Amino acid sequence: MATDLRISNISKIYPGCIANDNVSLQFKSGKIYALLGENGAGKSTLVKILSGVISPDNGEVYLNEKNLKLSSPLDAKKNKIGMVFQHFNLFETLSVFENLSIDATEDNKSLRVKINEILKKYNFSIDLDVPVLNLSAGQKQKVEIIRCLLRSPKVLIMDEPTSVLTEQETEELFISLKKFCDEGILIIYITHKLKEVLSLCDEVAVMRKGKVVSVSQTQNEKVETLANKMVGQKLAKIKKKINISKNKDEIFKVKHLNFYSDDPFETNLVNLNFSVKKGECLGIAGISGNGQNELFQILSGEIITPNTSIIFRNKEIAKLNPKQRREYLMAFSPEDRISQAAVPELKIYENVALNNFKSSNFFEKGLVNERKIKEHSKKILSDFSVNTDNVELKSQFLSGGNLQKLILGRELITAPELLICYNPTWGLDVGAINYIHETLIKINDQEKSTILISTDTEELLKLSDRIAVIYKGKLSKIMPSDEVTPEKLGILMGGGSID
Amino acid sequence: MSLDISFIGILIGSIMASSVPLILAASGELITERSGVLNLGVEGMMIIGAISGFALMVITDNLFIAIIGSMLSGVVISLIFGFLTQSLLTNHVATGLALTIFGIGLSAMLGKDFVGIPGKDFPILFSSLRESIPFFGPILFGHSIILYFAFVLPFLTSYFLKKTKLGLIVRAVGDSPVSASNQGINVVLVRYCCILYGGGMCGLAGAYLSLIYTPQWIENMTAGRGWIALALVVFATWSPIKVLIGAIIFGGISILQLHMQAVGFRIPVQFLIALPYLMTIIVLVVISRDSRKIKLNTPTSLGRIFYKEK
Repeated sequence: MATDLRISNISKIYPGCIANDNVSLQFKSGKIYALLGENGAGKSTLVKILSGVISPDNGEVYLNEKNLKLSSPLDAKKNKIGMVFQHFNLFETLSVFENLSIDATEDNKSLRVKINEILKKYNFSIDLDVPVLNLSAGQKQKVEIIRCLLRSPKVLIMDEPTSVLTEQETEELFISLKKFCDEGILIIYITHKLKEVLSLCDEVAVMRKGKVVSVSQTQNEKVETLANKMVGQKLAKIKKKINISKNKDEIFKVKHLNFYSDDPFETNLVNLNFSVKKGECLGIAGISGNGQNELFQILSGEIITPNTSIIFRNKEIAKLNPKQRREYLMAFSPEDRISQAAVPELKIYENVALNNFKSSNFFEKGLVNERKIKEHSKKILSDFSVNTDNVELKSQFLSGGNLQKLILGRELITAPELLICYNPTWGLDVGAINYIHETLIKINDQEKSTILISTDTEELLKLSDRIAVIYKGKLSKIMPSDEVTPEKLGILMGGGSID
Repeated sequence: MSLDISFIGILIGSIMASSVPLILAASGELITERSGVLNLGVEGMMIIGAISGFALMVITDNLFIAIIGSMLSGVVISLIFGFLTQSLLTNHVATGLALTIFGIGLSAMLGKDFVGIPGKDFPILFSSLRESIPFFGPILFGHSIILYFAFVLPFLTSYFLKKTKLGLIVRAVGDSPVSASNQGINVVLVRYCCILYGGGMCGLAGAYLSLIYTPQWIENMTAGRGWIALALVVFATWSPIKVLIGAIIFGGISILQLHMQAVGFRIPVQFLIALPYLMTIIVLVVISRDSRKIKLNTPTSLGRIFYKEK
């Protein structure tokens, strides 16, 4: 039976922000629909409404012309609307089977049979009796999909499903989604990745600032046209000139980096050796959870490992803490902006003062020199085009992009010789990403070096001079980035070999 | 020699009796914490259970009503905690501490008229077998029904958490309330139920003290047992069976050190008094070293306030 989902005049207003402004859309089964938009465009709000997590202030949802009352996730489930959230809704400490059985109506035995049928049908391979925390992101997503399939859904909503997947896993996902679509499931695919829209979807609705600005057939669209609709303005193209010169000095050299942990949530690192030349960007690719966190913490000095040698500007710094490393002109931009890089409850200038490098005279005789810090912060805000000049603002009120600009600014204003950043554009919108990419390229142009640990292959290919892949705590050989393709990276990131 | 063996039997019997309130309170708190709620009010709920049980016994002269009433009083006082933390979203730690202080004060006030009243004999089961079988008699027989219940409870708790659907839901809520809510589970309701159950068990634990263990009302008679129960849950890494082991060790060494004091060992008394605490922690830390298991048993959302998106 064909499915017809219609949302009409949906509005949702949060204090100070209109998340959805009179949104009306229509979907029919047999097609894959894309919902495209930047962060904060209102996509997530819309899907939360469709899945019953939040209720709209105004507007109706119709499924096959039946007006749905979606006041809880249960209502969505009953009406056969399945949802795979961007942040998985799984119970990490429970086994896969327990996760699936929690809202099942049948007994365990027949449920197991049913799950095995689905696994077979779609060629998924997942051990049902291991705790979910042992699974890779791709496998976790499959568990979420199986959970939806168990209820034979009419509508399947995928919220930014590929943000945690490798190229190969993404391909597999697309194959599965096309299969579901052929079986008559209506698929709504939420993303801000333009290429995915073009390769997977039949129709695309673009959202901007809570409104639907365009609905069109994807065959009539190109990356550029979609990007312009999404951002609402023309974007400059960024391309880096790769510079690999053999005779430049090695500014940073890591030898015998080993890390062993008892914690099942951490990854062991096995004998990492690499070096960075002056003015070079070394990219480290990999799916999250393959040791990037640990590597970043060791490079920044948060974790000190024995028997490791780290040479920076001809000095051994392996035993130094982050503050001491900063004094040697290293700078760090961690992945988690909110909890690692900045303290959200503190004001902007207070956050700037947090990495108190010696030369800045922020502190005199144990007292805070507020005037100096504020002047300094103002300079960062204007130099790095953060969209506020109020240094008294609490950092939590900055958007992700502006917070990241502030953090990068704070790190870069000391003119460090080496910047180590981890997923600097994670979760940001196209405009902010562009700015940060430009900034990172500028650093290299000024003969300063960067280490870019990122899970975004496109970003790595754009910015790095050489690239290595980290998989289960081991580093692949380092390749010049003009010899690397997304496919090659994908194979290495999934644990394969390319020779 | 036969005298010694029967003495050891009686000793083990008394150790079991002394660990009952810890087992009951800790098993209840374990369920509460597994759902992600940290209720530090165990001591307060226990002492309220102790006074209401004793008072009901004196007033109605009916032990059954006294026991049921003590559990209900635990439920009622935990309902205050539940309402504050789940409906008004107050901080778990502060609210739990307040509950303990409130419970101790309220029980002292209610109990003024009951000080010095002698308690009643609580019926014991299989008392004839206790006398006729040497050694095993005093261990296995001649206890109150509450003791048997307490020693079965950790196994029931373990079965409930591992094997039943409801247990699965409790664990899921403790692991990730947001995910559970998005799956259509009523997180607040589940947590309320777990809090009330924990309150009931703490009430029963208190009544065991005032009706069976030392049948009388003394102000502040729980004497920190609630805090021990709380610590047991954490050191036992939320495993019911380890809670049982910990409670027996604590009860055992508490009794043994009394005997050691009586015999007059040349060990400082202060050290002997500290011994049960020390040994319980050491043993539980040693038996729960597996960091993997700890991760899997620890309720990830413990003590965090959950509020539903609207």
